[in-house]
Amino acid sequence: MTTGSSDLPEAAQRRLGEGAFSSGLSVNDFAACLQMGLEPVGLVQGFCAMQWGAYGVGLIQRGITPYGGSQGGYVENYQCPHGAMMGGEHRVWGQNYQQTWIESSWHEGFSSAYARMVEEASDLHADGVVGVLDTQSSLSEAGVIEFHLVGTAVTLKGAPVATTPPWTTYLAGQRLAKLFEAGFAPVAVIATVSSVRVWAYCVTEYLMGGAGGFMVNQNFAPQEVDQIVRAQSAARSIARKNVRDQLHGDSLHGADLSVMEREFEKGDLEVQTLLRGNRVRRFKAFEALPVPQPTVRLS
Amino acid sequence: MSDVTNDLPQATEHRLEELEKGLFTSDLSVNEFLLVKEAGFHPVGFVMGSSIYHTGIQTRKWSQSQELTKLTEAMYNARELAMTRMEEEAAELGADGVVGVRLDVNYYEWGKDAAEFIAVGTAVKAEDGVSRLNKKGKPFTSDLSGQDFWTLAQTGYQPQGLVMGTCVYHIAHRGIGQTLGTTGQNVELPNFTQALYEARELAMTRMQDEANELGASGIVGVRLEEKSHQWGSHTIEFLALGTAVTKGSEDVTLVKPVTIISLDN
Repeated sequence: MTTGSSDLPEAAQRRLGEGAFSSGLSVNDFAACLQMGLEPVGLVQGFCAMQWGAYGVGLIQRGITPYGGSQGGYVENYQCPHGAMMGGEHRVWGQNYQQTWIESSWHEGFSSAYARMVEEASDLHADGVVGVLDTQSSLSEAGVIEFHLVGTAVTLKGAPVATTPPWTTYLAGQRLAKLFEAGFAPVAVIATVSSVRVWAYCVTEYLMGGAGGFMVNQNFAPQEVDQIVRAQSAARSIARKNVRDQLHGDSLHGADLSVMEREFEKGDLEVQTLLRGNRVRRFKAFEALPVPQPTVRLS
Repeated sequence: MSDVTNDLPQATEHRLEELEKGLFTSDLSVNEFLLVKEAGFHPVGFVMGSSIYHTGIQTRKWSQSQELTKLTEAMYNARELAMTRMEEEAAELGADGVVGVRLDVNYYEWGKDAAEFIAVGTAVKAEDGVSRLNKKGKPFTSDLSGQDFWTLAQTGYQPQGLVMGTCVYHIAHRGIGQTLGTTGQNVELPNFTQALYEARELAMTRMQDEANELGASGIVGVRLEEKSHQWGSHTIEFLALGTAVTKGSEDVTLVKPVTIISLDN
């Protein structure tokens, strides 16, 4: 399958050509959509199964040179402060580096699944896709993950047939209604991943192993594990920059950032950050909302 | 037992007779009960249907992605039997529909390759005496909660039936050559994508076919479930479930939600 047009399976074409609409919306979200003048026309989805691995490069050089696995992007080197009188197991060099190939593969998987979902919505002449859910899950075979996006295609009641690609949003129901109320319209869902590999140098290994002492500082005081903190900070910063690059001057609404740390072996770990949200654009000036009504639930 | 009418066990007949005398049972919460009443219905009894089904085996080719039609058929028939029996119980009670339907599959140690398919829900009857039976003359079924049932009524839509589509699919294994060819790369595996895509679409198409048979204008609350049951990781059942709805003839003006501040903690 490619990300080009008309690469949807025959079963998808047949399903989308049928009469009844299907919708993944809850009844509350369904009612809220109707209230906004959005009519569901079909559940739309996109998939992409990818071979997946961390595939560290330059592992042979790990710990002995400052020229590790970097292939462009963020890199930081850490040098042993103990001099040359240490044993062979001693990590003289450590490195934090951005795994650009992981980020681009993730982008490829997500974008392919996204393009297929939008293609299904376009086939239905939808104006937008609401309530998008995206998941990445491991498949039956080791080393394979599947990107899956699903949402409900909607048309705007009374509007002419859409000729532009549909907008998409993670929001549905009242949260979407509040967005419109605040004067913003959804443009697209945005998601990005940043990946930073950490090859610990001796000081980080001592600190992570709980064995600081005189090898780390002379007064035995607790201290920050600088290399890991900087990797975490870099991963977040790269993710934010990647999202900003996709916004093209619009705003991000409902940002959700999650961080995953994965250890391959002692002193070798990956910090992965997933940042997603709704790209939104202002279409009218903000009007003050009605005064809220104080309410006590009796249940 | 077969899928013909009146094949309910004797104990069921006795329980339903008691319910016909006026006592009702339901698994609705108090809030759900209130909203079902508010929507113009009252519960008449807790109903269920069950089928213990031998799902058998089907040979599959190691390197070929394909639908396992016998298993698909088995999973489909078993659920249909459970649903039909639940509908029969509801019909015996003179109900117009069943709300809060749950459809489960249980496996027991004593039954190799056999599974119990159970459908349970609360039968309800319209208080205005007007029949709400669906196009097939059966009580409507839906997995909507009491709250959802009430909300749906406010939109001018009526549930027609819990519709489902299933597809049991074998995802091909990769050969050594294919695996070696992509070693060290993160790339799309088009055969996997295509197989999973096809399987889910087939399940959803079948669900929509059921909705069309009911003359529905749409399906709300669609869920896509995936389970390997006891078949191993490369054989997956894709199940699409939702409630088919039709739009009533009257135009409905939806009430605009009111902004509130909750004073609860």
